[in-house]
Amino acid sequence: MKPLLAFMKKEYSEAARTGKITILILLFVLFGIMNPAIAKLTPWMMEMLSDVMTESGLLVTTVQVDAMTSWTQFFKNIPMALIAFVLIFSDIFTKEYKSGTLLLVLTKGLSRYKVVLAKALLLLSLWTFGYWLCFTITYSYNAYFWDNGIANNLFFSVAIWWLFGIWVICLIVLFSSLLQNNTGVTLCIGGTVLLAYLLSIIPKVKVYLPMMLMDTNSLLIGTEKTNAYIKAIVITTALCIVCVAVSIPVINKKQL
Amino acid sequence: MNVLAIQNLKKNFGSKEVLCGLDLSVPEHSIFGFIGKNGAGKTTTMKAILGFLKSDSGEIYVMGEKVYFGQTSTNRYIGYLPDVPEFYSYMTPLEYLNLCGEVSGMNKSDIAMKSNELLDLVGLGHEHHRIKGFSRGMKQRLGIAQTLLNCPKLLICDEPTSALDPAGRKEILDILLAVKEQTTVLFSTHILSDVERICTEAAFLSDGKIAMQGTIAELRNKRSSDGFIIETVQKEAADTLIKAFGELQRTEQNAIVFHGSEERFFAIMQYVAENRIPVQRIEQIEPTLESLFLEVTK
Repeated sequence: MKPLLAFMKKEYSEAARTGKITILILLFVLFGIMNPAIAKLTPWMMEMLSDVMTESGLLVTTVQVDAMTSWTQFFKNIPMALIAFVLIFSDIFTKEYKSGTLLLVLTKGLSRYKVVLAKALLLLSLWTFGYWLCFTITYSYNAYFWDNGIANNLFFSVAIWWLFGIWVICLIVLFSSLLQNNTGVTLCIGGTVLLAYLLSIIPKVKVYLPMMLMDTNSLLIGTEKTNAYIKAIVITTALCIVCVAVSIPVINKKQL
Repeated sequence: MNVLAIQNLKKNFGSKEVLCGLDLSVPEHSIFGFIGKNGAGKTTTMKAILGFLKSDSGEIYVMGEKVYFGQTSTNRYIGYLPDVPEFYSYMTPLEYLNLCGEVSGMNKSDIAMKSNELLDLVGLGHEHHRIKGFSRGMKQRLGIAQTLLNCPKLLICDEPTSALDPAGRKEILDILLAVKEQTTVLFSTHILSDVERICTEAAFLSDGKIAMQGTIAELRNKRSSDGFIIETVQKEAADTLIKAFGELQRTEQNAIVFHGSEERFFAIMQYVAENRIPVQRIEQIEPTLESLFLEVTK
């Protein structure tokens, strides 16, 4: 237990001292503010553009914005935050393989699975912290300007999107144990998500896929029930566990 | 007792055979020089000992325990210093040793005591900056401190002096000499003067096998002599000798070198005596590790 805690402490201090935590906080705060800000600015922007649009034959009527507009923005923007997160942390394992820093701590008797656990826990905790920070900021602004009550199943929708992020992070862990460089890791994650996206075009398959968890629109407006997501939630959770579980024996047999 | 024993170790990289049946044993409290050309397989052997590389066949024992690839519990006996050690550059030396100590399960007071003691030993006691700005020599010294932290039974150093200037090399060799009492040192190198300076035993690695192993004196004795230098007073005398004995080679105006059997040498001496050739100096050439190395790795 002590070696694991020591290595986790190293991971957090690394993320802090190399500025990654600062970048993440700035990123998530920015996204958190941007969602209600865009909603709030939409009528003003429309007004600014109305003259030009009238000239080109488009009639602009008064635009109604509410908390829903802001939440739609939230789910539009959060994939961008997740992509940034993956790019920032794609080298979390591979950097150590390349530089050879891992060799020395491993010869000190650190078990390889503890490296996987420490890094996975760092990623999961930072994603969780950043994501809910972004959510809290958007939620607070929305409550101040409008009424959050208009969005149905809000917490459920936000929670399943968070789970989707967890799945992507488990993919970082899996591909980092298999591959030697971070470009490969990023490409494989992109490839996996793309494959899942292509499969999700078939409605019957979609309900079983993690991609289902990104589809929160119908939940928010209340046309879809939470029950419809159970299968995807169970499967995604299982996939997360499998990803981390598989990466441990892979790392154990990795030639360093 | 042997701290390290390797039996019939084989390793191929693709079609390239790097190690083909390597046998090696390192006795306790020795400084063992592991000598070989670049690309001879020194690092490969060391990585196999540490369980970082899967060998194709053969067995490795550290302190009598078998080494397994991957989950390598025998590493608790080993301190490892790679040729270019890399550390977490955002840490200070003390923080780094603290991490190493905690990872290896030492308690806090031991870590604090041992870290300070070792940083003083390697001359980094007053270095409070982050590792980022360290020179190669400083990193190498921190590397040694790191390897000695948990009092290893076997210290493995991969070419610890190859990338350093003469002053840095001397410092590292002095440190290795100083730790001889506490541990056994296995260090790979191709710098033979380092081996002659500090090693008690050495082995030559050539063509994936140990070509020769023994104490430094034993190795030297393997080649009784490298020949003689005969220096005559006059240049003409040297000419006469070369004319009479075809195998003699001129090295200077009036100096000739002889490689050959003892009988032949006495024949030359007889010729010198009979013809009353004035000789300034006759010297036996001391066998060096270098000549041995060149012969072994030919």
